[in-house]
Amino acid sequence: MKKHLLIAACMGLLSWGAVAESLDAPAPDGRRLGGTIAQELQAEEMPKVENKDLKRERNYPEQPPTIPHKIDGYRVDTNSNKCLSCHSRSTAAKSQAPMISITHYMDRDGQPLATVSPRRYFCEQCHVPQHETPAAIPNTFKNIDQVLEGGASQP
Amino acid sequence: MWELLKSYWQILRRPSVHYSLGFLTLGGFIAGIIFWGGFNTALEVTNTEQFCTSCHEMRDNVFEEMKTTIHYSNRSGVRATCPDCHVPHNWTDKIARKMQASKEVWGKIFGTISTREKFLEKRRELAEHEWARLKANDSLECRNCHNFDYMDFTRQSKRAMEQHSTALASGEATCIDCHKGIAHELPDMSGVKGW
Amino acid sequence: MKLTRRDFAKAQAGAVAAAVAGIPLVEASNLITSSDQTQMEWNKAPCRFCGTGCSVMVATKDNQVVATHGDIKAEVNRGLNCVKGYFLSKIMYGKDRLTKPLLRMKDGKFDKNGEFAEVSWDQAFDIMAEKVKAALKNHGPNSVGMFGSGQWTVWEGYAASKLYKAGLRSNNIDPNARHCMASAVMGFMRTFGMDEPMGCYDDFEHANAFVLWGSNMAEMHPVLWTRITDRRLSAPDTQVAVLSTYEHRSFELADIPMVFTPHTDLVILNYIANYLIENDAIDKDFVAKHTNFVKGAEDIGYGLRPTNPLEARAKNAEKANTWEPYSLEQFAEFVKPYTLARAAKESGVPAERLEKLAKLYADPNIRVMSLWTMGANQHTRGVWVNNLIYNIHLLTGKISQPGNSPFSLTGQPSACGTAREVGTFAHRLPADMLIANPEHRAKAEKIWKLPAGAIQDQLGFHAVLQSRKLKDGEIKFYWTQVTNNMQAGPNVMEEILPGWRNPEAFVVVSDVYPTVSAQAADLILPSAMWVEKEGAYGNAERRTQFWHQLVKAPGDAKSDLWQLVEFSKRFTTDEVWPAELLDKNPDFKGKTLFDVLFANGKVNAFGKEDIAEGYANDEADAFGFYLQKGLFEEYAEFGRGHAHDLADFDTYHNSRGLRWPVVDGKETKWRYAEGHDPYVKPGKGFEFYGKPDGKALIFALPYEAPPEAPDADFPFWLCTGRVIEHWHTGSMTDRVDELHKAVPQALVYMHPDDAKKLNVRRGSEVMLTTRRGEMRGRVETRGRNKVPQGLIFVPFFDAKRLVNKLTLDATDPISKQTDFKKCAVKIEAIV
Repeated sequence: MKKHLLIAACMGLLSWGAVAESLDAPAPDGRRLGGTIAQELQAEEMPKVENKDLKRERNYPEQPPTIPHKIDGYRVDTNSNKCLSCHSRSTAAKSQAPMISITHYMDRDGQPLATVSPRRYFCEQCHVPQHETPAAIPNTFKNIDQVLEGGASQP
Repeated sequence: MWELLKSYWQILRRPSVHYSLGFLTLGGFIAGIIFWGGFNTALEVTNTEQFCTSCHEMRDNVFEEMKTTIHYSNRSGVRATCPDCHVPHNWTDKIARKMQASKEVWGKIFGTISTREKFLEKRRELAEHEWARLKANDSLECRNCHNFDYMDFTRQSKRAMEQHSTALASGEATCIDCHKGIAHELPDMSGVKGW
Repeated sequence: MKLTRRDFAKAQAGAVAAAVAGIPLVEASNLITSSDQTQMEWNKAPCRFCGTGCSVMVATKDNQVVATHGDIKAEVNRGLNCVKGYFLSKIMYGKDRLTKPLLRMKDGKFDKNGEFAEVSWDQAFDIMAEKVKAALKNHGPNSVGMFGSGQWTVWEGYAASKLYKAGLRSNNIDPNARHCMASAVMGFMRTFGMDEPMGCYDDFEHANAFVLWGSNMAEMHPVLWTRITDRRLSAPDTQVAVLSTYEHRSFELADIPMVFTPHTDLVILNYIANYLIENDAIDKDFVAKHTNFVKGAEDIGYGLRPTNPLEARAKNAEKANTWEPYSLEQFAEFVKPYTLARAAKESGVPAERLEKLAKLYADPNIRVMSLWTMGANQHTRGVWVNNLIYNIHLLTGKISQPGNSPFSLTGQPSACGTAREVGTFAHRLPADMLIANPEHRAKAEKIWKLPAGAIQDQLGFHAVLQSRKLKDGEIKFYWTQVTNNMQAGPNVMEEILPGWRNPEAFVVVSDVYPTVSAQAADLILPSAMWVEKEGAYGNAERRTQFWHQLVKAPGDAKSDLWQLVEFSKRFTTDEVWPAELLDKNPDFKGKTLFDVLFANGKVNAFGKEDIAEGYANDEADAFGFYLQKGLFEEYAEFGRGHAHDLADFDTYHNSRGLRWPVVDGKETKWRYAEGHDPYVKPGKGFEFYGKPDGKALIFALPYEAPPEAPDADFPFWLCTGRVIEHWHTGSMTDRVDELHKAVPQALVYMHPDDAKKLNVRRGSEVMLTTRRGEMRGRVETRGRNKVPQGLIFVPFFDAKRLVNKLTLDATDPISKQTDFKKCAVKIEAIV
């Protein structure tokens, strides 16, 4: 009986192996290790948010700056906007945080308003914190200065 | 029956005729301890998170909101429970706060904040009470754990260090001035300084 | 730049120092030099991502995209983008861009288990043509299939549709929009007889109430959300109601927040109809003049395999999309059981909020805009939800007027423009026409200059059915473009992966990066993307937008359009058309499909000289004529004069898009309304001319239970979706450092009390298991989403965490759209 079970188990394993092999086939890595679609890989640890308060280089002047600090618990809703407690025109001097730019005071038609434009109210639609984790895949984008230096970003 | 009651009355009126002074002093002392212990135990029961969240008003509103914040779960596991921030630790203040709390019992009975809507309606008023209390006592309940004298600025982020070493150090600002809404959602903040 | 040895050493040292300090390697001179140095070329293009259709300005220099920003001249977004849109400049430059065709080979020959090796385009097309011809010859038209995209440009979808439906004579082509918009389409077709919204984005500035039915616009349509935010915060009487199965970022603006039990939106919608009737809040005049009541078929199944017991049990699975006449009185009786008490009990939303919501619709002075996307569409009763939303707007007459607008948002940038308007579905032809209708086929044959009978009447397979048929070995050749179904499709482990890896099937994936789909393919074709080709997209408000080719694609990468058209040269009519058809039409004998479909005198009618000066066009160089213009003008013939009018080709290059129907050069903002829509006859007021009598249908449809709900074995609801930082499967956005670092992995959003009960905590690794597959992931109890107890949310952008291994391939039985928002899952700690 035991022997039969063992054989059955072995055959089960073999057939499972065969299925797994035909489902997974060698492939370039991409964002996922090639040939591992059918497998479940261990989930990476959750990285921490970079909290150094150091401004980062922008890729081009129009790029919204990324947030160089944690924003845990900073609520932005109809009741309050914690970001503006430091970054608004009236608070920036005291907090020494960068003031949000003039575009943030303009309405849809480019007309400056007395306060922050409601359309810009939810800061995280454009500005995001960064985790301490390497790039998933390197990006070969070259900024204008690198292009002027003569680099080509095509891989 | 009448006779029995009469004799008890006699004992109460003139105890020392019946019992020695030593016995009475000791008995009174013990009774006092029992009463005092009972009172304090009862008081302490009302000072637990379990008690606070036994009412759905607290459980479904402020406690639910707190669960995703740093005062509920954090790196070292040192967490704040409701009374840590909302009940003064020193005795007279505590009793004063408890007397105020009788109003909350009233509120509970009459359902002042029995729904989320009613609670949100009243949230600014309720929050203002807490802000005023913490402002008046220089954020005493914050400082029970976060003692300025023992803050190591080098372990803080740059932004925190800058604020704590200036405004907080000079007494120009107290904790609650900047850290409103740190454990619960905020009411409409229009007109509140710094918001 | 040449470096001497000494310079090199210096540069190296500098690089090390710079790396340490985080200082950029190339520092621009702070002195302004000559203008030919500092000038960049700026051009407009619609954003590559969602259905909002923002316009962006793209700066190029030396064949590089060097900057992008929101287009201030575009009405849609007026200078704004979301965080993804602001990083468009970087999406083409991931280091692992595909630049050569790759074929699985062993010993120099194709082998299903071989390693990918570089081949030439010729070799790639050779084996593709061989597989297609063999399949058609031995197994008939539905043995070849194509899975396309709502991210195809208009002409790519059109060319693919033509190649399949007219050339290979197979209707077996479906877009990924099936996963995304099919329920919305069927909702429109059933209620109005015509696809796409009547209103437009101008409604945002006119409405004073917004109701989000299961949509999270703050993250998924962020720029439209800025318009709602603008309105809500600057017009104080404006109200926002948000309904969802969990609390998300859109709740930050909500005046009436509502978290409901999954699937009970059907109850809430019927309650509102009941409320309107009971409180005498219906617009009787409008209802009488412009609507008819009908009762839809019930007990219609769940689009599962016929062998599934749930499917076998359903009484009306075969006639799901049927209805019978009804009256207002009968309708009133029908919705009567949907009381406030019942709605509150079943949905879990407090009664006072439901009543507040109903009052928004009931008050004649409140202009209401209802908005929905995947919450309503990815739903096993998604078509019903769409119909029920229209019910409310029709009952109150709040439709086709500024601010009164039931607005179905689209997910993809050209789900409307390509998938729907071009009709790349397995049952559709351009301009809302149907394969099943012989007149429609005849009309298409005429415009395509093809012999009668060229288009087959046999319907193709819809998306989910394609996966099943691959697994069953019925589809032998399968080609996907601009989509990543191995990550985005449902039930990967039981259906899609076994289907693609079936030795019977040959699977081709055209893509720009090695996606999960590419990894499972047999042949990978490198594609050009976005501004590497000339394109056109149509957004959610019927706005068609064009862009020019601005840079060259890397290596041997070619546009999907080139791939389709060049591939058509590999076939002659004799090889793929029956002799009978050719005997009747001897002119077509011996011609290639390229000749028949693309060199037909229409598509090749415009020469290269028509291309606007200064712009490259790789397809025109390859084929010798202005392919895009020819395809567009031929396609536009379908809609002109039929309420789908498009302007002429060049107009779109010179404007920020126009909303169809464009009649006499004028776009249409509100369809079906006199004064706005030229197709409404004078004196009618409103006319829903998609229906023969001009009247829209109000549907009586009940609540029916979902196919799978939590039970003792699988006690949690699983909901999937997107995050603002990533587009769909993340193949582009995960290659942008800033976006990857913003949201590096897909997390399992869970209620803190559930985590406690499961003995896990934030950051714990858990195994998620459904009846179909398993996935490992990390627990998140904080952050942007607050899920209720008993439900978890997992985004699908992360290639390493394939949440669609878990999802159920149940669909709405009418639209065949998958429900990605509801299935039952078990959670276990991994220790």
